[in-house]
Amino acid sequence: MNRFKLKDIAFSYSPDVSIFEGLDLTFDSQTTAIVGQNGAGKTTLVKIMKGLLKPSKGTLSIDGESIADQTAAQLAKRVGLVFQNPNDQIFKTNVLEEVMFGPLNIGFSRFEAEKGAREALKKVGLESKVSDNPYDLSLSERKLIALASILAMDTEMVIFDEPTTGQDFAGKEKIKAIINELKAEGKLILCILHDMDFAADVFERTVVLNQGEVILDGQTRDVFPEKNVLEKAYLEQPYVTQIAQALGYNDSFIHESELVAFLNNKK
Amino acid sequence: MNTMTLYVERNSPIHRLDPLVKLLYVAASILLTYILPEPLYIGGILFVTFLLLIIGKVFRNSLPIVTLSMFLIFSLVIVQGFFHPDNVTELFAIGPLVFYEEGLYVALVLVMRVLVMVGAFSLLILTTATDEMVERLIKKGMSPKIGHVILSVLQLIPQMRATMVKITDAQRSRGVETEGDLLTRVKAFFPLIGPVVLNSLNETKERSIALEMRGFDSPMKKTFLNEAKQYPHNKLIAGLITGIVILGIVWRVFG
Ligand SMILES: Nc1ncnc2c1ncn2[C@@H]1O[C@H](COP(=O)(O)OP(=O)(O)OP(=O)(O)O)[C@@H](O)[C@H]1O
Ligand SMILES: [Mg+2]
Repeated sequence: MNRFKLKDIAFSYSPDVSIFEGLDLTFDSQTTAIVGQNGAGKTTLVKIMKGLLKPSKGTLSIDGESIADQTAAQLAKRVGLVFQNPNDQIFKTNVLEEVMFGPLNIGFSRFEAEKGAREALKKVGLESKVSDNPYDLSLSERKLIALASILAMDTEMVIFDEPTTGQDFAGKEKIKAIINELKAEGKLILCILHDMDFAADVFERTVVLNQGEVILDGQTRDVFPEKNVLEKAYLEQPYVTQIAQALGYNDSFIHESELVAFLNNKK
Repeated sequence: MNTMTLYVERNSPIHRLDPLVKLLYVAASILLTYILPEPLYIGGILFVTFLLLIIGKVFRNSLPIVTLSMFLIFSLVIVQGFFHPDNVTELFAIGPLVFYEEGLYVALVLVMRVLVMVGAFSLLILTTATDEMVERLIKKGMSPKIGHVILSVLQLIPQMRATMVKITDAQRSRGVETEGDLLTRVKAFFPLIGPVVLNSLNETKERSIALEMRGFDSPMKKTFLNEAKQYPHNKLIAGLITGIVILGIVWRVFG
């Protein structure tokens, strides 16, 4: 998959409050972060992309081909979505079964499904928990199980809804490595985030969503210096960017290593 | 916390009534269908109940509930129509199936009575915020624990419905086909039951922990949030309903 395109999308949950009106967005080979305050419509957007919600207007296409008449189940072969809340996603009583569920549904053989599931569990570092009950695991572990169960489906596009919330440093590093690996495999990556530092650190492109509208969209490096626009959406800049600005440097810094190298050079 | 209930927020005189008065109406209307068990009278009660649903602006919301109970009602008609012990007068036959007048009469009364019950309960539940009702009941001396049980049960249905949507979404996301013909939908339904029940139990458990932590079990007298709410004409309406029930009894005995 090279391109996922949304054109002129309109959507509302109830007739009197509309969430999107004429939204246009295209996702391509760049890893993309979507940021925005609570209720901005981020989750709604990805549910539309996944076919879970049907827009009242507009078109969705993958590589130029419309996917309007595909059911969510048919789309599952191509687009994977890791839910914001793992409790909404987990429904088997055994970790391995849980992770194998998706692959089996989209036509993997039992052998392939188990192989894929074990690999995915290894990537998230939970291979030792294969026979545990997911409900006995901690929330951060359940989030990783949910992630693994999408990885195991080996879809062309993977969407994450806030994967880093509740994860410690090690967990975040794991997720970062997984995202980079998926990108190297040529998959389309989209990730909803509240963690600006993680967004700045990991993603090539950043989209800022505010009340159902895209108010900023560009290279992550160009997006985060836009303090005023970010403030309008009640978002903070990443710490590195803030620190660099507080020190009076006008260049845009989005990685800690950049700032460190820059400061070292000045010495 | 998820506070969804069947309650429909509207601005109507029924919504402003005291929950206890509505509860009284439920009791009175059901009682009357037993005191005066004839289609004409029950029809009258039914008419009033549906009229109240319309005044309460929740008639449309009551339709799914009524439809659901139609299944029950339908089986009643069939069973009574065929098998009632008093069946003697043959009314009509569909193939080998013979319907009798007596059975159908009994079935009609039953059907209407069930409709009154469903209608009256819908009126209460759709126009009353459950916490308001439970607070009123607790103030009248009901144990807060029972109050919480009532609240939990009333919240269970919509909560399960919400959980069902979530789990369906999760399953569709992972390739389970839930859209399409009836067979597909039915097939998709059964694997849902386990997770939905499990999930709801989990949420209920979390809620009771949350309540305990906030001192729900403490022996102190509780203060209520909606202390100030006034219900005008409360006594008058309650008196009216009671009066009608007494009238019904008198009618039955001497009429
Ligand atoms: N099932 C639903 N029914 C009705 N309204 C909903 C539903 N889900 C979300 N909304 C509303 O739609 C709006 C957008 O919600 P959405 O979940 O897409 O936001 P979000 O950007 O993902 O927020 P968060 O950062 O809190 O996850 C919110 O105002 C929310 O209250
Ligand atoms: Mg969200």
